[in-house]
Amino acid sequence: MPKCTIDGREVEFKAGENLIEVARKVGIEIPYFCYHPGLSIVAQCRMCAVEIEKMPKLQTACSTPAGDGMVVKTRSERAKQNQKAIMEFLLINHPLDCPVCDKAGECDLQDFSYKYGDSYMRYMEERRTYVDLDMGPVIKKNMNRCIHCTRCIRFGTEVAGIHEMVAVKRGNNTEITTIDGRPLETDYAGNYADICPTGSLTLKDFRFKKRSWFLKKTATICEGCSRGCNMELQHEANMVYRSIPRTNMDVNQYWMCDEGRFNYRHLQDPSRVTKPTKSGSFVDWSAALSEARAVTQGKKTAVFVGTDLTQEEISMVIQFAQKSLPNSTVVHFGTPGVNSAADDAALDKILKRKSKTANLHGAEKLGLKGSNTATGYQAAVVFSGGRSNVAALMKDVKVPAVGVGVFTDETKGGFSVILPGAGFSEKDGTIVNFNGVEQKLKRAVLPPGQSKATSEILMMWSNQSGAQASATAGARV
Amino acid sequence: MSETLYIQHFKDSSRGLDYYLKQMEGYTALKKAFKMTPDDIINEMKKSNVRGRGGAGFPTGMKWGFIPKQASKPKYLVCNADESEPGTFKDRDLMRYTPHLLIEGMVIGGFAIGAHVGYIYIRGEYTREAKLLDEAIDEAYAKGYLGKNIQGSGFDFDLTVHRGAGAYICGEETGLLNSLEGKRGEPRVKPPFPAQAGAFGGPTIVNNVETLTNVPFIINKGGDWFAKLGKLEKSGGTRLVSISGHVKKPGVYEINAGSMTIRQLIYDVAGGILDDRPLKAVIPGGSSAPVLTADEIDVIYDIEPLMKVGSMMGSAALMVVNDSYPIVRLIKRITKFYAHESCGQCTPCREGCRWMEDILHRIEHGHGKEQDLALLLDITDNIAGKTLCALGDAAAGPVASFVRKFRPDFEALIRGGRHAQVHH
Repeated sequence: MPKCTIDGREVEFKAGENLIEVARKVGIEIPYFCYHPGLSIVAQCRMCAVEIEKMPKLQTACSTPAGDGMVVKTRSERAKQNQKAIMEFLLINHPLDCPVCDKAGECDLQDFSYKYGDSYMRYMEERRTYVDLDMGPVIKKNMNRCIHCTRCIRFGTEVAGIHEMVAVKRGNNTEITTIDGRPLETDYAGNYADICPTGSLTLKDFRFKKRSWFLKKTATICEGCSRGCNMELQHEANMVYRSIPRTNMDVNQYWMCDEGRFNYRHLQDPSRVTKPTKSGSFVDWSAALSEARAVTQGKKTAVFVGTDLTQEEISMVIQFAQKSLPNSTVVHFGTPGVNSAADDAALDKILKRKSKTANLHGAEKLGLKGSNTATGYQAAVVFSGGRSNVAALMKDVKVPAVGVGVFTDETKGGFSVILPGAGFSEKDGTIVNFNGVEQKLKRAVLPPGQSKATSEILMMWSNQSGAQASATAGARV
Repeated sequence: MSETLYIQHFKDSSRGLDYYLKQMEGYTALKKAFKMTPDDIINEMKKSNVRGRGGAGFPTGMKWGFIPKQASKPKYLVCNADESEPGTFKDRDLMRYTPHLLIEGMVIGGFAIGAHVGYIYIRGEYTREAKLLDEAIDEAYAKGYLGKNIQGSGFDFDLTVHRGAGAYICGEETGLLNSLEGKRGEPRVKPPFPAQAGAFGGPTIVNNVETLTNVPFIINKGGDWFAKLGKLEKSGGTRLVSISGHVKKPGVYEINAGSMTIRQLIYDVAGGILDDRPLKAVIPGGSSAPVLTADEIDVIYDIEPLMKVGSMMGSAALMVVNDSYPIVRLIKRITKFYAHESCGQCTPCREGCRWMEDILHRIEHGHGKEQDLALLLDITDNIAGKTLCALGDAAAGPVASFVRKFRPDFEALIRGGRHAQVHH
């Protein structure tokens, strides 16, 4: 492999890799704003300029592929002076309102100004100001904070496939906005906030909710469709505040859709059933379990497993059904119209899939078939993580039914008993995406109220003595 | 003056095809070129020592040689007729009076690099010239000098006039190409250079009007002949010089490259300083060229000698300033131009040019501070050589040179307020 030298360290690289990526391999940070590995290279911010031996001018590391034998200095006097100068240029018109800015704490501009900038300000002229722009339900634009990196414009045209963000006017007056100030149309708008290196584009949903440094981060998988985008749930005190995509070049690259991004909120629905419920009123676990047994005792039972359950949960349900519901059939359900893996297909050109649950392909791998009817059965048990379309299923299920998992006002109708369970952010487990990639859900928060993990519910149910299950059992599968 | 190529034809009667054919050996070079191989033409260009007339002074023959022989995408020849550098107005006359010279030059150029489509990207303000070019192109199509199978040679070449919308940055070759493609007129990252991937992704040559109008002469009379027109080793041909400002006879003049000093140009060619006042400053190559003082004008007016004294010939636009105009106001006005014309893509130029303008504005109006001059020089250092395209250098160079060379004028305003006068 060819080698180059960066700050005195020899680095091997693949042909075509740029200096930023090559330096990153050996832990050398080259600061940048406009560069993004998933977008085209424009070399506009000039922050990444480095000194390369035998080249008279500084070269932008983003647009310079590493060359064999190249000697690069990222912290030479000239490079440092340039970094300082760029920071000064970027900050002269930046409001420095970090204390009230949501990006503070995770802001490239803020971080790099501490690291590479000067603490002294020489600018005495009037600052450039703009009026804020409302860009629809997802994003709020504060143009004053913008540093004109144009990542958002490039994301729109190159990834989201929509030319909605544009630069208008010219030079110092350049404004990054939407065409005619219209609301954003793409279903991937949340990414605009992720890639913005300052607090110019912020998520409306997250604004003023939580300072970023309080957030704990859990790497997990999106349950929004069979793509299984890698994402990070950010939470504090058992409350999820935000989810952002994690990079996985094989699955979702750097992006995720808005539906997946905001999906965690269904588990925070105030009407979610978090106590055992019998005929619409709350009861204790033993009464609810007795009723569940009564509904299914000796009956020909259809067991509907939501494809939002993990592999581990589905296996347990199958075992449970064999043992405790001898006259039962286990099938899966999830998205109306997507009854098998063969029905699943791409919903757009980017990430979205037709199956609106994450583990359809895993359920089929475990041998389950899709079904949405209870015709010919006397009772039903429905397992759902809250993402499977229970409402659609229950239209056709006219027999007495037990619900296990996540239910809300919208989905609790038609059930004799509901045993509250855990949603995707409240459990660990494995899901299989449409390409057969196995990925792990990680628990970020505890199930709310008296909700319990599927494993625990099944254990209590199958325990014929009806003894109280240990109250201390966790939600771990 | 010895032999001139253009200036004798700068009259309204020379515009038509008839005049061009009869008086200027019109389209004979084209016929000669069709009998040559493209490599021969490029060699002849190299021999001629013609250097780009748009500002950078890059050897044209070498540029043409960069075009790959085999390319998966169509090649293009683009004429940069944006002529937006303040002080420059030579290309306007070339297009106005000798449009067929440009057309012939472009067909030969297209033949040499293997391009079948050419564009003339013309400055938006040149409405009249765009119309005249269109008329000349129509004439050329009618007589078979453009279009399919030109003069039975089997070579096809189509030429279109594309009007800009008045942005300085669209005179930068990659900004021009973006604008030509219908995109925002913003320069592109180089590499790839236009010769590899230019207009619509195809290998592209962008040449100035004057550069292309040189081509028929070079082909007809030979590269060596053309090179000898120039009086310096690496600079061939004649130069059209736009002289403006405080001179008695401003206008476009033609000189043999490297044959005169700036002093000769001002006093012998342009009739001396207006009102016979003392000379204060000379901007030798369009407003982006670092300024020269009255003591520095005994320099030969050509690319290399001017580089040696820290300035540049640029587009050969000589701007002469006598002592009647405040020097700080002049550099403020120049900087305002670059701040206004900065495309806004890259940080140093977008932020720095306006910053410099604001500081200069303050100084001009008597609100300057002692540390402003050091700050200005610092900002120019932080812009120059660190921007995406040459506009940053174009803005920073003049400011640095004005502050260094006319420091007393700045200091007088800073210390004495706006009414201070400097007498040398």
